[in-house]
Amino acid sequence: MNIKNEVLYRVYIVLGLVMLGATLIFFKAFKISYLEGERWRKMGKDLYVQYQPVEAERGNILAEDGSLLVTSLPFFEIRMDPNSSGMKEEDFFENLDTLAYCLATYVDNSHTVGGYRDLLLRKRTEGERNLLIRKDVTYDELAKIKSFPLFNKGRYKGGLIVKQQSKRSRPYKMLARRTIGYVRDGAKPVGLEGYFDDVLGGKAGKQLMQRVGKDIWIPVNDLTEIEPQNGNDIVTTIDINLQDISQQALSRALQHHNASHGTAIVMEVKTGAIRAIANIGKTEDGWWETYNYAVGSAIEPGSTFKLASMLALLEDGYVTLEDSISINRGKMTFYDEEMIDATSQSFSLDSTTVREAFEISSNVGIAKLIDRHYNKGDNAARFIEQLKNMNLHLLTDVEIDGEAKPYIKEAYNEDDDWSGITLPWMAIGYELTITPLQLLTFYNTVANGGKMMKPYLVSDILRFGETVQHFKPTVVKKQIASKQSIQAVRELLEGVVERGTAKRLQSNRFRFAGKTGTAQFDYLKKNRRQRYRASFAGYFPAENPIYSCMVMISEPRENGFYGADVAGPVFREIADRCFETKVDMHQPVNNFPKPVYTANTLPLRDAGQSKEMRFLLDYLELPVAETTGAEWSVLEEDDGKLAMGSRTAIENLIPNVLGMGLRDALFVLENRGLKVKFSGSGKVVRQSIKPGKRIRGQTIKLTLK
Amino acid sequence: MSRREVAGFRNIDWMTFSLYISMVIIGWMMIYAAGYEDGGSYGIFNLDTPVGKQTMWISLSILILLITTVVDWKFWRTFSYFIYAFALVLLVGVLFFGVKVKGATSWIRLGGFTLQPSEFAKFATCLAMASYLSAFNTNLSRFRHQIVASLLFLLPVGLILMQPDAGSAIVFFGFMVVLYREGMPSILYVILFATIALFILALMYNPSHVVIALFFLGILLLINGFKDKMYYLMGFLSWSALSFLGVYYGYTRYVLIAYAIALIVFSGLHWRKGRYRLVKSLVPLIILGSVFTYSANYGFHNYLKSHQQDRLNVWLRPELCDPHGSLYNVLQSKLAIGSGGLQGKGFLEGTMTKLNYVPEQSTDFIFCTIGEEQGFIGSFGIIILFFLLVSRIIFLAERQKSDFSRLYAYGIAGILFVHFFVNIGMTMGLVPIIGIPLPFISYGGSSLMSFTLMLGVLLKLDANHLNY
Repeated sequence: MNIKNEVLYRVYIVLGLVMLGATLIFFKAFKISYLEGERWRKMGKDLYVQYQPVEAERGNILAEDGSLLVTSLPFFEIRMDPNSSGMKEEDFFENLDTLAYCLATYVDNSHTVGGYRDLLLRKRTEGERNLLIRKDVTYDELAKIKSFPLFNKGRYKGGLIVKQQSKRSRPYKMLARRTIGYVRDGAKPVGLEGYFDDVLGGKAGKQLMQRVGKDIWIPVNDLTEIEPQNGNDIVTTIDINLQDISQQALSRALQHHNASHGTAIVMEVKTGAIRAIANIGKTEDGWWETYNYAVGSAIEPGSTFKLASMLALLEDGYVTLEDSISINRGKMTFYDEEMIDATSQSFSLDSTTVREAFEISSNVGIAKLIDRHYNKGDNAARFIEQLKNMNLHLLTDVEIDGEAKPYIKEAYNEDDDWSGITLPWMAIGYELTITPLQLLTFYNTVANGGKMMKPYLVSDILRFGETVQHFKPTVVKKQIASKQSIQAVRELLEGVVERGTAKRLQSNRFRFAGKTGTAQFDYLKKNRRQRYRASFAGYFPAENPIYSCMVMISEPRENGFYGADVAGPVFREIADRCFETKVDMHQPVNNFPKPVYTANTLPLRDAGQSKEMRFLLDYLELPVAETTGAEWSVLEEDDGKLAMGSRTAIENLIPNVLGMGLRDALFVLENRGLKVKFSGSGKVVRQSIKPGKRIRGQTIKLTLK
Repeated sequence: MSRREVAGFRNIDWMTFSLYISMVIIGWMMIYAAGYEDGGSYGIFNLDTPVGKQTMWISLSILILLITTVVDWKFWRTFSYFIYAFALVLLVGVLFFGVKVKGATSWIRLGGFTLQPSEFAKFATCLAMASYLSAFNTNLSRFRHQIVASLLFLLPVGLILMQPDAGSAIVFFGFMVVLYREGMPSILYVILFATIALFILALMYNPSHVVIALFFLGILLLINGFKDKMYYLMGFLSWSALSFLGVYYGYTRYVLIAYAIALIVFSGLHWRKGRYRLVKSLVPLIILGSVFTYSANYGFHNYLKSHQQDRLNVWLRPELCDPHGSLYNVLQSKLAIGSGGLQGKGFLEGTMTKLNYVPEQSTDFIFCTIGEEQGFIGSFGIIILFFLLVSRIIFLAERQKSDFSRLYAYGIAGILFVHFFVNIGMTMGLVPIIGIPLPFISYGGSSLMSFTLMLGVLLKLDANHLNY
């Protein structure tokens, strides 16, 4: 091989190598971007940069009066990226000491200044990108932290990472806790929070996030790409005051009776707005709102259901209130099952009126009526139809998820285990289930004259304080029964309080109407230790109902178990406190026909200065037949009417001060140089020196009364 | 016969110049893209941003280019050793007065800017080598001259390794292209490549397996020397198949011993037949190779620091590496390139590079920005540009009448090629991650200016390529 060939050979080798290198690179690039491109793209998308949702601020839940039941408080998590690519080395070291000082002084004193300095230095060398500074920083604190040296350069140059979080805060703590509910990760949403999640939740924004470690994402820019839309607020119908009253009254009763759980609901009669809904259950660590008993569980209501039975009987015209009915001293056997009254009153009665049977809550009485009128032919279907006319088989569709469906058997349906005793037992509220709220809705309808309103909890949806949606009260059924029947059952309910089982609960300040219930668990198993469910449903005031209310207390174990003893007092307490706090419930003082003042009801023989007296009488709008021009007057009767008689006093003679007040009497007497001694208070009824005697500076004794 | 010196832009190689200008412009745009949305206003003349600084560096580079056109072409040959010595002084000086950035003292601060003497040293070394090798009495077939020529580039390598900046040091091995072209014995290169290959194999696989493979090849070569080789070959291959099974089931040690015995037996057969030469050259090579394989593996595990091990592992055995640790850079880089696909995401649309996922996305990893935003088409374009540039320089080299000019051109070609191959290769995991810039494209004043200087001098020399 000659030199020239050798050189040429070497040049080719070099060119070949260059070619080889370029080809290698070419194929590798082709492989990565084309052949494996899909894989890398997917990996890049999934792993390293992602648009992640930015949580919108959740809306508030307000009470009827606008008080905050639940609100979201913003909290911030402060982290630092000591290796932010925009951070200049000299900036870091220049500000390190001051930053460490600020952190140790204002943020967290668990580290010393030197400790922070070392920490930041160490984390920077370790390549940390997401160093936690502090959680739960408030907005004010954040403003301060943002002004710290280095941090004031922002996310990119200063490495400050701010993550906003919000916490649900309940200013009223336990109040209506279950009804308000919650939305939590991994748990079924509950209550209004769950039902109105879409409204409250708002729309999440988007932010480009960068992954810096396992499950650690930091925002790329300071600003969010798509701002989250904050949630709307909802205004509930809950009246904080009533809710508080109900909750406290219920809670006290539960503890007093050592019961397992209970519920109390207050509804506005005219609208169906739920003003209070308390649910309390006993747990290992105390009494809590852990389950919405009012909505979530359908139970056998017991005697409170008799209202429906009576309404059916009256609607079908089978009875009148004054019909006589034999109640067999409170004991009767239907087929093979014996029914016993719970009230001792029945045991002494052979027969009574329908009215009294209801008032004393005679099981036998009501069951017998239903059995007699419906348990023949296929008439049972008629009874069921009547119940359905009252919408007792339907959901209320209140804004809480998980409402239990009422269970009303279909007539003669074998799947429902229909038997001969079904009807009599249904009459007294067994062999069927219904939720407390559904039953209350029925009572509310009765209170509302037969017009059924849908119970509801949310009246408005607000956006920035402006109503965007208003929920009007909804009429479910215009008239569930004839006016006469409704009037009749209202009389019955009033009778229960006036004469019947709830007699003890009467108040002399206002009248209310209602029905007690004492349901037994497993009522067919006689030999067990019985467990009870005490309830009371009713409305107040009786004449012109404003609120209806249902109280149900399950398994009272101490201090009685009857509805009137356990649930009734809670109802009464709620009604009382309601009456005290709701001025509009009071009958105004002058809201009576103007009384005709007869003479003998008037303060005759009162005496005083004419001018003042006339002023007073004018003010009281009392007609005065006659007036005098004298300085002093006395009230007199003139032909059954009021008249002012003049009382003249003659110079140097003792004046007549009878009927005057002490002030006037002293003025008159002492002006004439008399000395006055007196005893008692009120008007002068006796004077020791008779009028008309000459004045000689005597001492005169007055007796007042 | 010497022609008149050609001055100015006359007779300049416009192809090289156009390639240069396109690369600089592409680089400038990519730096703009990589820094885009880094926050704040982003003016191209704002000296606080990479692209603003690059604008300035480009202006300075154009100035340098202009200066090289007016400097007499003989100046560089005349002052080559002086410039080389100056570069060495700078390299020594930086060790004492340099600024430490990311663990390496490779920068000298001048006013508000920092310069990297190792970049300049490439140019100086290139001049010095061209000068030495073109000297009348230099003969690369002589051992002494081989040593001196090698020392010329190994000296700066040593100094740069002290900074330590392994990346820049490796680039100097590009000068081996010059040496090869000028007649350095091929066997040295073969041995070098074989060593590197063995080293890589030793790290990638069980060294015993590598040694078995070595023995296997050796025996095949020995068998090739027999007259009735088919007979032996059949026997050996069937026996080998069995022993591979043995290796598969974990009897590596016995298989190794068996192969050693087989090697001795076959060597003995040759020896008895009097064929000493084959045995004499082959057996020591195999033994040396085996020893090297074992010691490379042992050395890797016992002498290399863990970060050095990591770096090699990332390259050779990425499956062993932590994706969020040592593998992070190359994974990010591949992700960025891969996410660009065929057509790329479009100019300024790349998310991974501009979000600082890819480390050093405007300097060493600028190729990722190209790959992500311009896709494979863009990458291909860059590869073509470099390939054309390097080939063109080799072409230019071969047309020089002056030995100095040719050698200088080869030096430049070597350096550029190493930069090109290693830089782009590392972003794709083809070679280990070695922090060197992509010439003319990466952000950085020292790199751009020194490469411009190298190219400018080359253009000037080439303008006079008919002169001696």
